[in-house]
Amino acid sequence: MPDSGYPWPIETSRLDNGLRVVVSEDRTAPAVAVNLWYDVGSRHEPAGQTGFAHLFEHLMFEGSVNVAKTEHMKLIQGSGGSLNATTNPDRTNYFETVPAEHLELALWLEADRMGGLVPALTQETLDNQREVVKNERRQRYENVPYGDAWLRLLPLLYPPGHPYHHATIGSMADLNAADLATFQAFHRTYYAPNNAVLTVVGDAPAAEVFALADKYFGALPAREDIPPAPDGRSVEATGRPAVQTVTADVPAPRVYVAHRGHPFGSPGYDVLTVLATVLGSGRGSRLYQRLADGERIAQPDLVGAYGVDLAHAPAPLIATATARPGVSAERLTEGLAEVVDELATVPVTAAELDRAKALLSTAWWRQMSTVDGRADTLGRYATQFGDPARAADRLPAWLAVTAEQIAEVAAEVLGAADRVTLTYLPEETA
Amino acid sequence: MTLIADRPGPGAARPYRFPPVVRRAVAGGQVVAAHLPGQNLAVALLLLDAGAGREPNGKEGLGGVLAKALEEGTAQRDATTYALAIEALGTELVTGLDWDSFQVSVQVPVDRLTAAVQLLAEAVRTPRLDPADVQRVRDDEATALRMDWANPGPRADAALRADLFGAQNRWGRPMYGDPGSVAALDVEDVTVFHSEWFLRPGTLIVAGDLDRIDLDALAAAAFAGTGGGPAGRGGPIEVPLRTGRRIILVDRPGSVQSTLRLGHPSPHRSHPDHVPMTLAGTVLGGAFTSRLNHLIREVHGYTYGIRGEFASSRRFGRFAVSSGVQTAVTAPALVEAVGEITRTQAGGVTEDELAVARSWRAGQLSVELQSPRAIASALTTLVVHDLPDDYHAQLRAALLAADVDQVSAAAATHLHPDALSLVIEGDAAVIRDDLTAAALGDLIDHP
Repeated sequence: MPDSGYPWPIETSRLDNGLRVVVSEDRTAPAVAVNLWYDVGSRHEPAGQTGFAHLFEHLMFEGSVNVAKTEHMKLIQGSGGSLNATTNPDRTNYFETVPAEHLELALWLEADRMGGLVPALTQETLDNQREVVKNERRQRYENVPYGDAWLRLLPLLYPPGHPYHHATIGSMADLNAADLATFQAFHRTYYAPNNAVLTVVGDAPAAEVFALADKYFGALPAREDIPPAPDGRSVEATGRPAVQTVTADVPAPRVYVAHRGHPFGSPGYDVLTVLATVLGSGRGSRLYQRLADGERIAQPDLVGAYGVDLAHAPAPLIATATARPGVSAERLTEGLAEVVDELATVPVTAAELDRAKALLSTAWWRQMSTVDGRADTLGRYATQFGDPARAADRLPAWLAVTAEQIAEVAAEVLGAADRVTLTYLPEETA
Repeated sequence: MTLIADRPGPGAARPYRFPPVVRRAVAGGQVVAAHLPGQNLAVALLLLDAGAGREPNGKEGLGGVLAKALEEGTAQRDATTYALAIEALGTELVTGLDWDSFQVSVQVPVDRLTAAVQLLAEAVRTPRLDPADVQRVRDDEATALRMDWANPGPRADAALRADLFGAQNRWGRPMYGDPGSVAALDVEDVTVFHSEWFLRPGTLIVAGDLDRIDLDALAAAAFAGTGGGPAGRGGPIEVPLRTGRRIILVDRPGSVQSTLRLGHPSPHRSHPDHVPMTLAGTVLGGAFTSRLNHLIREVHGYTYGIRGEFASSRRFGRFAVSSGVQTAVTAPALVEAVGEITRTQAGGVTEDELAVARSWRAGQLSVELQSPRAIASALTTLVVHDLPDDYHAQLRAALLAADVDQVSAAAATHLHPDALSLVIEGDAAVIRDDLTAAALGDLIDHP
C-alpha cells in the first residue's frame, strides 16, 4: 500500500488579504496549471435565484477592468493554453494550463477578474450569456433522453430549503428574472481573495509563484462578512421511500436508485467510494454480473453506480440500470434494489475488494498524471479541508477500507426506507 | 488602483520536447514506445489495421460487435473470470475504432503492465467467440445504438455522411454502423473478420516509464501466435463536390433545439496543405475564440457552442460544422453560419486571428500531451500516418511558421460554401417554413 497519493512537493502561503496560495513544482514538462477554487456554488443560492452561481461563471469570461470582452479566451488560447471553468453545488473553479512562460499572464488575468469584474459587467453581456446558459440547459438537460434525471433526483433526495435541493443549472424562470444588480452584488459578496484558493502546479518554482501572487492579487481587499450557505449537514430521514415515475420520450425503461450517504472527505464517504466501485464499476461489478450478465435484464453498457463528490452534506450515491428489450421497469427495479440491498447482507469478498481498490488506484493516478488534474485536487483539499496536503490521504484511505466497513455503511445508509427511486418509462408502453 | 493595468509579456520559453520515441521490431511485430520517466501510470495499446474502412459494405458495425465479443471469454477462461482477472490489475479493456485502425488498450500502474498486456493479447488473439455469445453481443450492440440514436446528432451525422460520400460506399455510412446494420450481422461475419484482421501482429504502442517496463516481454505477449503481413491500405479516394447547396431536414418532433451539421468533402490526411488547412479551420471554427463561436454564441446567444473543422483520415476528409441551436432561431443561425464560412473562404484570415490559432495549436502540443493516454494517442498518429519520430516537433515548427497568405489560400481552396450540405435535425413542423424562406438551397426531407 502506498504511503501517499501525492508524492510531489506542496508549498503553501497566505497573502495578507487571505488568499491562500498552493504550489506544487514539477519540471517534467514545460507547462503550468493555474487553478482557482472559489468557495461559492449553487448551495449559496436563495430561492428565486437558482442557476445564478453558474451564470456568473459565464460572466467571468466576458471581460474585466483591464481585459476587454472576449479577450480572456483569446489571450489564453493565443498563448497555447487550455482553459475552462465549472460550477457545482459546492464551489466554482476556474482553470487554465499554459506553456510555463505564460504563467504571469494567467495570474494577471485571474487577478483582474477577481478584483475588477463589476465595472466591466454590462446588461448586454448578461443578456447574451443568459441566452447561452438557457441553450446549455436545453442541450444538456432538456433535449436528450433521461437528461433531466439529475434535476429530478436532487429534490427527491434533499428537502426544500436544503442547499442541495436544486440543481446548479437553475430554472428557466429564475434565469429569465436575473438582473444586473444581483450579479454585481454576487461578485462583491463572494469573489474575494479570502474566499479563494490559488493553486499552481508544474514548471514554476514556489518562491516565484508566491511573489507573482503577491504582485497581482496582493492589493485586492478582503471581504470580512461573507455569508455562509445554509447548513445542510443533517438531513432528516422521512422514514418512507421516495418514488417518482416519469413517462417520457425515452427509448427504454431506466431506473435510478439513490441514497444520501456521507459527505465527501469523511471516512464514511471513503467506504462508499469503494462500495460504489464494487457495486457498479466494470464488468466484474455486482450490477454487471447480476443484472447485465447473470439475469440479463439490463443493458450491459448502461449499468453503473457512483458517488457524487459533494462535501457539505450527506452526498448522493446513485445506482442505475436500463432495461433490455422485453424487460419491464418493475422487474428491473426489483433486480436493482435487490443487488443494492445485498451490500448489507452478502459480504464483499476479498477478490471484489481487491478489484475495486485496483480500479480506484488507477483512477487516482490518472487524475495525478497531469498538472491540471493535480492542481484541481490540491485546490479542492485546500478549500474544503483547509490543507492541500490532505489530498495525499485519499488513496491510502480507500485502500484501507474493509469488507466489514462496507457492510456496516450499507446497512446504515442504503436502507429501503431511505431510498429514492426514479423510473423512466417510454411513452408507447404507458 | 488595486489592479495592475499592464498585461505581462511572456517569460523565456522552455524548449519543446516530445518524449523520446523508441521503435523496435520484436517477435514479428512492431513496438513504438515513449519514455515518461517517473510516471506511475502506463498505457499499452495494440494498434490493428482493422478500422471501419476494413468492414465490407452492408456490414457496418462489425468492429464494434467484435470489440465487445472479445471480452466474452477466451480460450483459457470464461467471461467472468476474464473480467475479474483484468480488473484486478486496475484496468478495463478499452477498445476504440476509427476509419483507419482498431485499438485495444490497458492503463495500469506501471508494475502491472506486463500482466495487463498478457490479458489484452489473450482476448484479442484467442477469444472464444461462442456463437450464442456473439449473437447476444450483437443484439446488445444493436440496442445500444438504438439508445444512442434516440439522442440528437447520430441521425444528422449519418444524413450528412451519406450526402457527402454516397451511401453506396462504406465511407458514406456511419463509422459505427446503425441499429439496422448491426442487427443484421451474423456470427460468421464476426469470426471471419476476426481471423482476417485480428491475427496479424499489428503495432504495440507503449507510453510509460521505460526504465520500469520490459518492452521485449510486452511484445512477446502481444505478438504470440500471430501471422500474416500488412495488407494494402489503398490510396486517397476522389470525392466529388456537390454543385449547389442543399438543406436536408431530419424530423425530430418536439425538439427544443435544432442540431446543425453542415459540411462538404475535403482532402485526406497526407495532403500537403494539412497545416494551413488546420489553421484556417481553427480560425473559422476550431476553438472557442473562433469566428463561428464568437458570432453564433457570443454575439447572438443562439447556442451553447458551435464548432467547425477539417477532419481527415488516410483516404478521405471532410469539413464539418456542428452545433445545437434553439429551435426558434434555427434559420437565422444557419444563415449566419453559412455567411461566416462564405466570408472566410472569400476573405481569408487576419494576422491577429492567425496569431491566436497558430500559438494555440502549437501550445496544445505541450499542454495537452501530458498523460500516458494522450502520449499513446500521439504515437498512434505516427504509426497510422507513417510519420517520423520528430513529427510533433516538426508540426510545431510548421504551425508557428504558417503565414496569412498560406492560410488564406488554404481557406480559399478548401472551403466550398456553395457546395455545403446543410443537415438540420429538429422539429420539422416548426422550422420548415423558415428554412425554405432562408433560400439557402433546396430543401429535402430525410426519410
